[in-house]
Amino acid sequence: MAAPAGARPGWSRRAQYSLFFGFLAAVAGLIVGLILLGLSIVSPSSYQVVRGVALDVMSPATVALSDVTATAGGLVSGAGNYWDAAEQNAGLKAQNAQMRREIVKANAVLQENRQLKAALRLREERREAVATGRIVGSSFQSPRRFAILSVGTSDGVQIGMPVRAADGLVGRVIDTGSGTSRVLLVSDRANVVPARIMRGGVPVISTGRGDGTVDIRPLEVGRNPFKRGDIIVTSGTGGLYPPLVPVARVIRLDDDGAIGLPLADPSEASFALVEPPYEPAAAADAPLPERR
Amino acid sequence: MVRTALAGKALNRGPVRGATYWPAFSVAAASLLSALPIVSLSGWWPSFGLLTFIAWRMLRADAWPAWWAAPLGLFNDLMTGAPIGMSMALWTAIMLVMDLVDRRTQWRDYWIEWAVASLLIAASAWVEAEVASLNGAPVRSAMAMPAALIEILTFPLAAFVAIRIDRWRLGR
Repeated sequence: MAAPAGARPGWSRRAQYSLFFGFLAAVAGLIVGLILLGLSIVSPSSYQVVRGVALDVMSPATVALSDVTATAGGLVSGAGNYWDAAEQNAGLKAQNAQMRREIVKANAVLQENRQLKAALRLREERREAVATGRIVGSSFQSPRRFAILSVGTSDGVQIGMPVRAADGLVGRVIDTGSGTSRVLLVSDRANVVPARIMRGGVPVISTGRGDGTVDIRPLEVGRNPFKRGDIIVTSGTGGLYPPLVPVARVIRLDDDGAIGLPLADPSEASFALVEPPYEPAAAADAPLPERR
Repeated sequence: MVRTALAGKALNRGPVRGATYWPAFSVAAASLLSALPIVSLSGWWPSFGLLTFIAWRMLRADAWPAWWAAPLGLFNDLMTGAPIGMSMALWTAIMLVMDLVDRRTQWRDYWIEWAVASLLIAASAWVEAEVASLNGAPVRSAMAMPAALIEILTFPLAAFVAIRIDRWRLGR
């Protein structure tokens, strides 16, 4: 096929002018786009309202579709569970007995802990979740790692709040609509979590790698302190994330650090809790949502 | 022969209502697909909005006036959560580049279109990676390359969809 002749509208002066002004408008659009892009790189917070409205426009579709897939997925995995019910039953019984023994032990430790704390007169702060939501979507088309959470400002969610699931840390809120919010996942490359190794308490820094894993580096240079299977927990440094929330499990060592797999898998976690920032002052003076 | 023409559905078929707006509408709909409840850990899914946009531009130079690329791109940015202005600038630039390509190419076939589309997709992936690194999240090439490759391999599908919509809207 010969190439199209290009946009040559013939002898009509009107058509020629409209083509020319269309071209000028396109150049103007390009310039406006570049300016907006520059603004969103320099000061991302200037678009908070627009992004919130866009999230709200999308939220009915996202939440409804996620309900449908959850139901369909539940049917499939439910049928799978029936398939080897007997074997699973035996396994679960053994696990149950084991857990019961451990709970007794843990209760004893808890009681002792309470007595010791009372003796030391340590005041214990109760941390209550702001809202509980479901992860209903993600940025599956982009190199950034965001997730969409089904709670928003109407539930009390604000930009900068940490999000966790039952298994561990999920990330922090960066955009809020009235019914949904966008979460910067732990595995995004812009998300840096101050943490430590649970065994031994060596301080480390966890940075996302963009592919669902995190890069973990010790703060002190020297011997590689990691072992495969180590659990990394938040240290509470910086005041955004509360301390002792599990972040990742080490799966591979490299020369001066390790690669970890986040313990809270956003595609599996059914519920996520939005919590207030650990030290409210941290969210106020450090403009955390700026880094995105 | 006259009878067969009467029996078929070939008579009284013309462009559907709003035929001018269907291409732009289909691009906006493709941008909206980012609302699908897919939770991916790698982000290797193709960007549906961009693919549909390039597919239409390959098919027709006059699918929409060139400046419509800016609002379409803005809509895509808002829906996918990309930095605002990125698709807006990128898509308008694609319209302008394609005008040049239309002028320069003597011959067009399936493979040339796919090659040009691949270049455009690769350039968009590169711009997206640069913008992400300016935003504090530098992209590793090991992550960006597979994503661009998947997008290039999905392009024929987007082209097929655009051709079907084009036939339907013109009533052919």
